[in-house]
Amino acid sequence: MPLWYKGIIPEHLAVRNNVGIFDITHMGRAIITGPHAQAFLNNVTTNDVSALTPLSAQYTTMCNQNGGIKDDLIISQLEPNKYFTVYNAANRQKDHNWLQQNAATLNAKVEDASDQIAMFAVQGPKAEATLQKIVDIDLTKIERFKCAWTKLANTKTFLSRTGYTGEDGFEVFIWDTPLTKPEKATTAWNSILEAGEEFKIEPCGLGARDTLRLEAGMCLYGNDIDETTTPLEASLSFVVKLKKEIFIGKEALVKQKADGIKRKRIGLRMLEKGPNPRPKQEVWRDNNKIGYTTSGTFSPLLECGVAMAYVSTEHAIEGETVSVKVRNRLQKAEIVKFPLYNPTRYGYMREK
Amino acid sequence: MRVLDYEIPDKLYYSKEHEWLHLENKEAVIGITDYAQKQLHEIVYVEIQKKGTEIKQLQTMGTVESVKSVSDIFSPATGKITQVNTELSDRPELLNQDPYGKGWLAKVEVADPTKDLAKLLTPQQYAEYIKSLEE
Repeated sequence: MPLWYKGIIPEHLAVRNNVGIFDITHMGRAIITGPHAQAFLNNVTTNDVSALTPLSAQYTTMCNQNGGIKDDLIISQLEPNKYFTVYNAANRQKDHNWLQQNAATLNAKVEDASDQIAMFAVQGPKAEATLQKIVDIDLTKIERFKCAWTKLANTKTFLSRTGYTGEDGFEVFIWDTPLTKPEKATTAWNSILEAGEEFKIEPCGLGARDTLRLEAGMCLYGNDIDETTTPLEASLSFVVKLKKEIFIGKEALVKQKADGIKRKRIGLRMLEKGPNPRPKQEVWRDNNKIGYTTSGTFSPLLECGVAMAYVSTEHAIEGETVSVKVRNRLQKAEIVKFPLYNPTRYGYMREK
Repeated sequence: MRVLDYEIPDKLYYSKEHEWLHLENKEAVIGITDYAQKQLHEIVYVEIQKKGTEIKQLQTMGTVESVKSVSDIFSPATGKITQVNTELSDRPELLNQDPYGKGWLAKVEVADPTKDLAKLLTPQQYAEYIKSLEE
């Protein structure tokens, strides 16, 4: 996957306004099976896996004993006792080892499927219309975070109405397509591009993937979350179900919640024209350093600098003005809620 | 001349940091090369030191940002900035669209042109340098 094809800005805007396609075959994927698959996943992740029904998906995190995030991932239930999970490319080996290690005690089988399934993301307000032309099921029936099996370009394909852009769209898994035999994946990619031509589809690279997810308020592992941040600090408490009987990291998270969460992940929008915020820059308020940025970029949609930052909880208040220290100058920014764009105009919640 | 995919005008001098310099008597116009703008791609912010600032050859005189990256601009000459292209603050994309024209960065009163030119590349030398980078 290149950084860009045509350019980060046109690719980014294609996804916000029309549709874009990403080749994300580099991501990690595993299939988890066995009579105790659900119990196993419930133990290694923070969300409630028992809430999943066949052909539905959930966003979740996987923590270490200290509550630090080992990775964030999506789990889909294919059928009872059979799950499919997608995690970050950079964590492929680490996650696989962790899953294997923990599965042993619970009699679940973890199979690395990363190199056996090709993966694309088709994202944007015209994603459904694009794919509808080349699949054999009614896509309007698939709600967000629901999945389906279909045939796409004559190939067995798993569709999940999920993504990493904030827009409506699908993640498209071309099944049984080993890396050594990519022909089916190439055919599918070309079919999607052809179907999307009338909607001005653009192939998109890593650059647009990053700016899109940042505007949407989604975390990038290694930047915004890692083993030293907990999901509670990362403002991901909606995927932490402390009512679950046990899961790895629960004790630490329960304690952190009781003691008070000291810092929180927030969104920033620069208030003045000037240099753009970048990762690892200090955030200041009234002569006090209150935190640091973890991601930062120029936003192609908002046409201003935007960032994610961790700041001490007492300062994590939407609407407050803070400063980001960019190249030794304090630049004013407003703390804003995610997504950073107006959700009635952009993103999957937009008014049609 | 055009080398590979890059425009390299004949009347300019070049630095290995991909800045160009156009010299007339002691006044120089400074900018970034076509190669630089194509490498940076989608320039969204430019910042040059203020008018009146003394700058030194091959030292930082500003910053250019693309969506994903931040790069220093190194001065190809030693002297005093006499004018800055203020249009770039509203239209940084001029650096991509017209790096040798409307995308100029600054004008500089050069202290010792002969000394500065000795450390810069001729168009032919810069062309060879670009080719070596693309190999």
